[in-house]
Amino acid sequence: MAIQVSGITKRFNDFTALDSVDLEVKSGELLALLGPSGSGKTTLLRIMAGLESADGGGLLLNGEEALGLKPRDRQVGFVFQHYALFRHMTVFENVAFGLKVRPRGQRPGSAEIKRRVTELLDLVQLSPFASRYPAQLSGGQRQRVALARALAIEPKVLLLDEPFGALDAKVRKELRRWLRKLHDDIHITSVFVTHDQEEALELADRVVVMNQGRIEQIGTPAEVYDHPASAFVYEFLGQVNRFDCMVEGGIARVGDGTLAIPTQGGVQGPAVAYVRPHDLGVTPASAGPARISGIHVVGPDARIDIDLAGLALEAEMDRERLATLGIAAGDRCAVHIDRARVFAR
Amino acid sequence: MPADVSLTASAPVPVPPAQSALTEPVWVRIALITGALLFLALFLLLPLVAVFVEALRRGFDAYWVALIEPDAVAAIELTLIVAAISVPANLLFGVAASWCVAKFDFRGKNLLITLIDLPFSVSPVISGLIYVLLFGMNGLFGTYLRDMGVQIIFAVPGLVLATIFVTFPFVARELIPLMQEQGSDEEEAALVLGASGWQTFWRVTIPNIKWGLLYGVLLCNARAMGEFGAVSVVSGHIRGETNTMPLHVEILYNEYNFVAAFAVASLLAMLALVTLVVKTALEWRFGDELAAARH
Repeated sequence: MAIQVSGITKRFNDFTALDSVDLEVKSGELLALLGPSGSGKTTLLRIMAGLESADGGGLLLNGEEALGLKPRDRQVGFVFQHYALFRHMTVFENVAFGLKVRPRGQRPGSAEIKRRVTELLDLVQLSPFASRYPAQLSGGQRQRVALARALAIEPKVLLLDEPFGALDAKVRKELRRWLRKLHDDIHITSVFVTHDQEEALELADRVVVMNQGRIEQIGTPAEVYDHPASAFVYEFLGQVNRFDCMVEGGIARVGDGTLAIPTQGGVQGPAVAYVRPHDLGVTPASAGPARISGIHVVGPDARIDIDLAGLALEAEMDRERLATLGIAAGDRCAVHIDRARVFAR
Repeated sequence: MPADVSLTASAPVPVPPAQSALTEPVWVRIALITGALLFLALFLLLPLVAVFVEALRRGFDAYWVALIEPDAVAAIELTLIVAAISVPANLLFGVAASWCVAKFDFRGKNLLITLIDLPFSVSPVISGLIYVLLFGMNGLFGTYLRDMGVQIIFAVPGLVLATIFVTFPFVARELIPLMQEQGSDEEEAALVLGASGWQTFWRVTIPNIKWGLLYGVLLCNARAMGEFGAVSVVSGHIRGETNTMPLHVEILYNEYNFVAAFAVASLLAMLALVTLVVKTALEWRFGDELAAARH
């Protein structure tokens, strides 16, 4: 096991950033810390790196107690949200920094440093830019320099703080795939922080969903998406329809019986039901209980706003399906739900 | 389709030449620029020229004699010594103060920032006077210092102390905003990459602030050599011993020795000019890097 976090607690004055967090990061995996801002995910990452101190708890890095260690003794690579490249150094010097500051005995010779930096710049596809300054690079290139620099010290663990946060949508997607491929090649234990659920679900082997300084759920992307452990996870991961309901004998009833949805999991009484927009079926029905209040086409998908007796719902389907149904804004329709997850209120 | 929103192409209509929203009429621009230039000429350039004209009124020989006369040489030496001690001292204090203000959060930080600005808001005479009250014959530590045989007031240490006090804010005020803007991300990155605190300071912090630091030192030096008020109070005006250049100028002027007074004053004026030129040269030569350091 590469990283073991046990009962880590951190307070900033009255604010509890981390509330006794336990987490195990397996060797060689790519783990996402996912949560809204203020959930403590960055604080946890910074504590792992030694950039922040913990108020209590324990941290093992490769089996070694690390909370008392300085950042420089932890052998972690850290990629900062805004890269924190050394602005007065060239790309080459940035990557070489970690090798050049080693104590004399462990410092590689300048030929060896040059070889390794060149190798890393090849890896991140930035060899032609070795003599540029950070200010002369694009966001995506800076990001890759930051990564090469972090890898130069041959860290046991790679920590990335919002690695794609400062990039535009297209570059973000490319870099995401590229990073996933890089990780598959070099298999370094990696933890990255993100508030973007799509990013976490696409990139990570396992996702840790955090909220208000606690871990809500840990699991593979499919597990956390398909089987959210709490109402928070359900709402945070992806679009969702949320409505109050009354569960009696496994059937959730909404309002005065406009909807009846079969449920699982033994919840009884007042509850909150969650339905993903793509689990919500729409069929045209001239005397149906619902009305289509709007249709928005976003790329290949269509988002359909539905008004069900005052209840605003959202359905999602691809455009072909929409065309087959032949519905338009203002039409009446019927709504059916095959799957809903309910949590007691 | 109503006719008034028709999009049919029609003959191009001549468009008046585009005028930027922020452009003023020509006569306003000329008037403003002339006004500014006249003001500068009258209040800055003319006095500066006057210094040199007065200094050379009796020819270059008289000018030169006034500069190599022993009291003048002593004043120049003393000024250089005071600057040589107080500027490095303020360099150190300035970097240390900006470092802790910009990179750390602590109680009393605002108080520290206010204190750094204090010398700017206090009259220089008061700055001198506080040292007389502390270290003078009748001052707080006066008796003790006399028994120890240490003289501070009316001697070089007093001049240095007063100068340090007056010029303290220059380096710190230049660096604090710069370092605050840069944040401590790069320092953190260096630490994680295995650098020691000392390596981080020399390889990351200092290179990032070097131009700002040079600015601060230049301004600090100009003020250290030119300071009059605070130094005047603690100096005692002993000719050839505790007179710095500005004080020497005043004495000569009060003795109606105008050529000598303006000759020494011309040196100070040249110092100012050199400072300006170096500052401009730095901005011109390293403008990119200065901008990069603030990017």
